[in-house]
Amino acid sequence: MVNSNVNALGVIFANTYDNLVPELVAERSMASIPFGGRYRLIDFTLSSMANAGIDNVSVIVRKNYHSLMDHLGAGREWDLTRKHGGLNIVPPFAERSVKMYSGRVDAIESILSWLEAQKERYVILSDSYIAVNFDFGKLIDAHVSSGADVTMVYNRAPIPEGARSDNYTIRIDEDGRVTEILSNDYRLGEQNLSMNMYVIDRESLIHLVHDAAVRGLVYFERDILARNLKLLNVKAYEFKGYAARISDMKSYFDENMRLLEPGSMEALFGGAPIYTKIRDDNPTRYLEGSTVKNSLLADGCVIEGTVENSVLFRGCQVKKGAVVKNCVLMQDTVVEPDCDVEYVVTDKNVHITEGKKLTGTDTFPVFIAKNHSV
Amino acid sequence: MAKEMIAMILAGGQGSRLYALTQKLAKPAVPFGGKYRIIDFPLSNCVNSDIDTVGILTQYQPLVLNEYIGNGQPWDLDRLHGGVHVLPPYQQASGSDWYKGTANAIYQNISFIDRYDPKYVIVLSGDQICKQDYSDFLRFHKEKDAEFSVAVMEVPWSEASRFGLMVTDENDKISEFQEKPKNPKSNLASMGIYIFNWDILKKYLTEDEADPNSENDFGKNVIPNLLRDGRRMYAYHFSGYWKDVGTISSLWQANMEVLDPSHSGINLFDENWKIYSRNSGQPCQRIGNDATIVNSMISEGCRVDGTVNNSILFPGVVVEKGATVEAAVVMGGTVIKAGASVKHCIVAENVMIEEGATVGAMPEGGLNIAEPGDVATVGSGVVVGKGATVGPKAMVSSDVKDGEEQW
Repeated sequence: MVNSNVNALGVIFANTYDNLVPELVAERSMASIPFGGRYRLIDFTLSSMANAGIDNVSVIVRKNYHSLMDHLGAGREWDLTRKHGGLNIVPPFAERSVKMYSGRVDAIESILSWLEAQKERYVILSDSYIAVNFDFGKLIDAHVSSGADVTMVYNRAPIPEGARSDNYTIRIDEDGRVTEILSNDYRLGEQNLSMNMYVIDRESLIHLVHDAAVRGLVYFERDILARNLKLLNVKAYEFKGYAARISDMKSYFDENMRLLEPGSMEALFGGAPIYTKIRDDNPTRYLEGSTVKNSLLADGCVIEGTVENSVLFRGCQVKKGAVVKNCVLMQDTVVEPDCDVEYVVTDKNVHITEGKKLTGTDTFPVFIAKNHSV
Repeated sequence: MAKEMIAMILAGGQGSRLYALTQKLAKPAVPFGGKYRIIDFPLSNCVNSDIDTVGILTQYQPLVLNEYIGNGQPWDLDRLHGGVHVLPPYQQASGSDWYKGTANAIYQNISFIDRYDPKYVIVLSGDQICKQDYSDFLRFHKEKDAEFSVAVMEVPWSEASRFGLMVTDENDKISEFQEKPKNPKSNLASMGIYIFNWDILKKYLTEDEADPNSENDFGKNVIPNLLRDGRRMYAYHFSGYWKDVGTISSLWQANMEVLDPSHSGINLFDENWKIYSRNSGQPCQRIGNDATIVNSMISEGCRVDGTVNNSILFPGVVVEKGATVEAAVVMGGTVIKAGASVKHCIVAENVMIEEGATVGAMPEGGLNIAEPGDVATVGSGVVVGKGATVGPKAMVSSDVKDGEEQW
């Protein structure tokens, strides 16, 4: 058989860390937060899986998932509209709605019967709060060749401010085996910070989750992995590439801005393609009188004013005399004439009316919620 | 299940006057307007007019076009019953034949059309830039109880003799057809867009095929035959933007008109009449600190660090620091290196313009969209070497060595 598909299926958790970015998830999930001018966060993980030949992916959603379902559709843009497998969105069962998923174990438990019916040998678990162009093929190869029970992905990074009370770091021995998993590490400086991506044998995942659920345990990392590090061979896999972690509003702003630094776009998009929902916008139009410096712009924008050090999503308009500096403008934001906006993050469909002056700071950008007019 | 109307798009044109641009692709596949191909216009018009069954008749260099159309999904034309079908000539029990003319192309696909049992067939041209509501055209056709209708545009009397002209009465009934006449009796030019009642079209195609002296062409044979028999023929007036981009200068012109601040060009910013295309899937465009962009249109995946003035950049074009692009149409994947000057020209896909090279030049009188004069052209995949010059009249389709000059 032509080995175009790997022997793994994907499970993506769409709502993990929602609590860290309450403004951005007011009407959506972490997975559908717009990022990088034309993407949603889930595009990165989903495209990476599709690019590795993983064509059976379940997205587990907990709440606020309308925008995500609208974005994903039948999975066509990621080539995941398949007869077998493809994209599978798993909302909570109606009869379970009193009891929302509280941890990964709960969430996986809700798909246990589906997991049992699948044929792939391995399962990849991933959250969707990191924008990363990840080679899952390499990860699976490492997992298979090391003979580990579980392989977990980490990178060397400082613990983000927003995730101080919601992170896992790991200690590793000289063989790359995880010897300790620390919850809510607060040390300064670079740590072995978990990226919450795991490869595990499907059969053992079913077994572990079933066992944990029976005993009322909810957290995969804390209750399953951390307690069984002597029993389970958990290997660490270091990711050395470009990763944008979203852990609060400031990191959301900073990570969009980091894309403007030289080399960032190449690092994040230079590998396999990242797919997203197509909007069929026209190319971006720069009119007479526009000045644009050091910015990222998606298609469908119309620029008549000044844009500097900013990220503009699809369909934004910056009218005559308006100045936009150090801003992230999500799709269809309209900045009317003679506005002056600096350090502002606008959600979708925001309208800034003529002559307004809005100024945040680099540590505290002003945020304007979806569909609001200022 | 019968369809009310299906569309047949004539896309076999070689576009020989676009020479360097159509070496490897058919004219309908030529890129236009920053992210589109010409065929996106009739296809989008079809789907925006609720026509869900489209046959595309191809025979010249069909590879790019076939791949581009694929299953028709970008135009929402992937349908269970109907959808878009690419129809090349094929071998039949009675022998095989290239499409001999526009009418013969449809004739050879009678069985395709019959599968959908349509009441009407609209025949479209795959090489025109135009936004048109075919459902309004059909409404006219039905109101007039016509057997044949043709879309016409008023052209200046001084230019009328360049066109096929419809002479009509006050009810838009056609009484005469003049093909490029010396003494025009009308200024209503045929746009080459027809609606036929399918039973009538089938009858006349069969008759035309049986005539050994026929050129099997709609304008030369079928329409005159309909007139001869006194069929109910009407002219539907269209007054929007319409351009046949048959030459380099008309293709350049149609692109520049999109940028024209006085909106002489086709409006690509119309939410109510979107033009769909197969997407390149590249990340955002990156505009650098040293970039200067004036009155231009730039597509995804571009990287601009130089000067771009009155130009259209397709997906993935790179303009390095110190390079100047002016009044140019630069197609996807082309790289313009530092210090290069690219002016008043069309540069096809995946061209490499090396440092300090010069392509084209602004005319002495400056930019004049109406009377463009010379437009330099560089074919796809060409490398224009360091310091090389491609003159304003030149059309190059093979590499230009470092320092070499082509005029």
